[in-house]
Amino acid sequence: MPRRWTAYAAPILLAFAVGCGSLMTTEPNPDDLLDGPLGGLSPGELAAFAEGDAQFGKPFSVNEGLGPIFNNVSCASCHSGDGRGVPENILVRFSRGGDLIVEEGGPQLQDKAIPGAEPEQLPAATDVSRRLPPPVFGIGLLEAIPDTAILALEDPTDQDGDGISGRAHLVTAADFVPAHEPGGGAGPRLGRFGRKAQVSSVLEQIVTAYHQDMGITSDFLPDENRNPQAGDGTQAADRVGDPEVTASVVRAVVAYVRMLAPPAPGAMTARTARGQELFSQIACASCHVPSLRTGASPVPSIAGREVAAYTDLLLHDMGDELADYRPDRGADGREWRTTPLWGLRVMKDFLNGEAFLLHDARARSVEEAILYHGGEAAASRAAFDALSADDRQALLEFVESR
Amino acid sequence: MTPRPAIAAWILATLAATVPATARAQSADSAAAAPAHRGVPGGYDDKPYLAGVFGRILVGGYVEAQGVYERADGVTEEFGFVVERWNIFTSTQVSPAVTVWAELEFEEGGEEVRLELAQVDIRLRESIQVRAGMLLLPIGRFNLAHDGPRHEFTARPIEATDLLGATLSQPGLGLFGRFEGARGVLTYEAYGVNGYMDGLLLDSPDGTRLPAGRTNVEDQNASPALVGRVAFAPRGFELGLSGYHGAYNVYRLDGMTVDDRRDVSIGVLDVQARVAGVVLLGEGSLVDVEIPSALVGINASRQSGFYLDVSRRFARGLIGGLAASSLTAAVRLEAVDFDRDIAGDSVQRLSAALNLRTSDETVIKLGYARGRSRDRFNNAAEDATLSLGLATYF
Repeated sequence: MPRRWTAYAAPILLAFAVGCGSLMTTEPNPDDLLDGPLGGLSPGELAAFAEGDAQFGKPFSVNEGLGPIFNNVSCASCHSGDGRGVPENILVRFSRGGDLIVEEGGPQLQDKAIPGAEPEQLPAATDVSRRLPPPVFGIGLLEAIPDTAILALEDPTDQDGDGISGRAHLVTAADFVPAHEPGGGAGPRLGRFGRKAQVSSVLEQIVTAYHQDMGITSDFLPDENRNPQAGDGTQAADRVGDPEVTASVVRAVVAYVRMLAPPAPGAMTARTARGQELFSQIACASCHVPSLRTGASPVPSIAGREVAAYTDLLLHDMGDELADYRPDRGADGREWRTTPLWGLRVMKDFLNGEAFLLHDARARSVEEAILYHGGEAAASRAAFDALSADDRQALLEFVESR
Repeated sequence: MTPRPAIAAWILATLAATVPATARAQSADSAAAAPAHRGVPGGYDDKPYLAGVFGRILVGGYVEAQGVYERADGVTEEFGFVVERWNIFTSTQVSPAVTVWAELEFEEGGEEVRLELAQVDIRLRESIQVRAGMLLLPIGRFNLAHDGPRHEFTARPIEATDLLGATLSQPGLGLFGRFEGARGVLTYEAYGVNGYMDGLLLDSPDGTRLPAGRTNVEDQNASPALVGRVAFAPRGFELGLSGYHGAYNVYRLDGMTVDDRRDVSIGVLDVQARVAGVVLLGEGSLVDVEIPSALVGINASRQSGFYLDVSRRFARGLIGGLAASSLTAAVRLEAVDFDRDIAGDSVQRLSAALNLRTSDETVIKLGYARGRSRDRFNNAAEDATLSLGLATYF
């Protein structure tokens, strides 16, 4: 005898209603994300964040303006989960001495090209630097640290005799960066972004990434990136009128990146506290300054807060061990900006369990990265090496918990 | 003919079909007036509600609508209602040997209208028949038989839609036929078609995606593709093998060679079987796309995917007064790897459905799907979809 259909449907519907939360997926812990917003943003700021997130993740097709020469198809294609990249998408920057050799395709190698276009080849006899895409979270916090706070950490002539002589990298902002923009305007500006602190403004960094990495022109840089090694066919292959994105698209991405929160550090344990103590004791903290304070910001969530980025944003001589021997603006071939040590706790989760540390991803663990340190950090490296195995492990656990 | 008059003609035909004096609603059982089925079950010539309107013109259609609640990583992506498609089809027996089949599809609330099928069949003999027009490409079984009321899930298989571009129809010309033997039926289809075009690279921001290159109404590169399917069907079982090969890019222009010729090659194995009341339906595909060397690492050259539906109908006659009513329980397992050369860029999904059929032609579908997609870094995102849909022939 047939049963009423409700006898079948009711238990199913009930099961869905009861288990709806987990059946319909659950949100990951926001502390473990690299692409979450800063806490305390207003609804308007969150709307801007969402719009910028969409633009950051938007891949470009050829018929949307990609190329003619490029490295990747979107911002998110280089920054895994908004964190660092992988060796497969390392960027190659090249020059000859202080000459960016723009007429030969410098300063960045675009090794991809749309159909009909020719990708660039690395010219002979150039200085080459391989750069892993860095994390993009926390940039708004780094931007809001006052120049004075960073300059106060300088010791270019090593007056205190500790063997560490960080110096600020003063650069000139691109012409399209207006004076009201942080890091913009005429005259020397404090560089704080990029592996060699060679960029002073978030806007400049993003406009240049659109232009150089994706071949996307904008209101700020409306002329297509050329491949001077190729003929007119390469330029003609691009089939979209310039500019390919508006200033508002770029501004959305700038706002998004500014409001990206760094992942929360892990809870401090007795062991990581011991590691932190050793971190200061062997002078890692002399460059990887544990905390700086932001100044004023139009975004209340950014203004006046402690930033535990473990960086001084200064250039340091890292010795032959890490040298790329390629000058970059005012930074020489041995100098690198102190890399922030945040997000390491969850970074591997976005890189298939790998670490890919240092500017060219040569280190696959924090310990390996420490052992590559030279120059001003040679003494700290030696001190690390001299620690007991247990202390070394405690220090590593501390760093990996940030 | 421009699209607008064509649409108007279809609408008129539909209105006429709703007039009781002229429309003769026809059940599946009384479809005997239609020609014997030559395509796959559920295909172009196996529509239960094809009914005569203007003499020899038979008209039918189907509609699919659903409510969807979709979340990804705990965030609501979609919560609303959608009319997936409203399709109308006709069959015209011009003469004993000549039949014209057509299907017009309205999707996205009417924003997307396309002529999905407009084929002329000329029967020379059962084993040799000529076909021309806008053809459903025989790349797998699903592309040939995909009506919502026939299938147990509100969503179409990812392998068919996102990998191959179903529903995939293009202008073409070729032969088809069937051979009946003691052990079963052997059918074949072989056509020259316009083929995929370079939109699969140029219009797709996500890497190589065949659906972005499926619309090729006038052969963009003046280089037809070949597509075919052979199927063997013993009793209660059908096994099909499809193949496709053709250039997708413009490599000759004004008599000059302007690029290297680059091909798309596809192989699909499909199966339909009924064992002890359990219906199995599925297909698996391998795709090879030749890409320019300057796009290696950006665009995939090797892709694959499959789906397998398992369903069983039970509780027949459970609604009093509706002898044809029944419930169907169904499970689908599916996966697509959009780039076989890297770990990520893939999607996997497990779906379950409990459907109420008031008749063979009308179904209410309650479905749940749980999926995992991976980006090119191999980062995973979880998604889940709850859907309640309705599909019916008319």
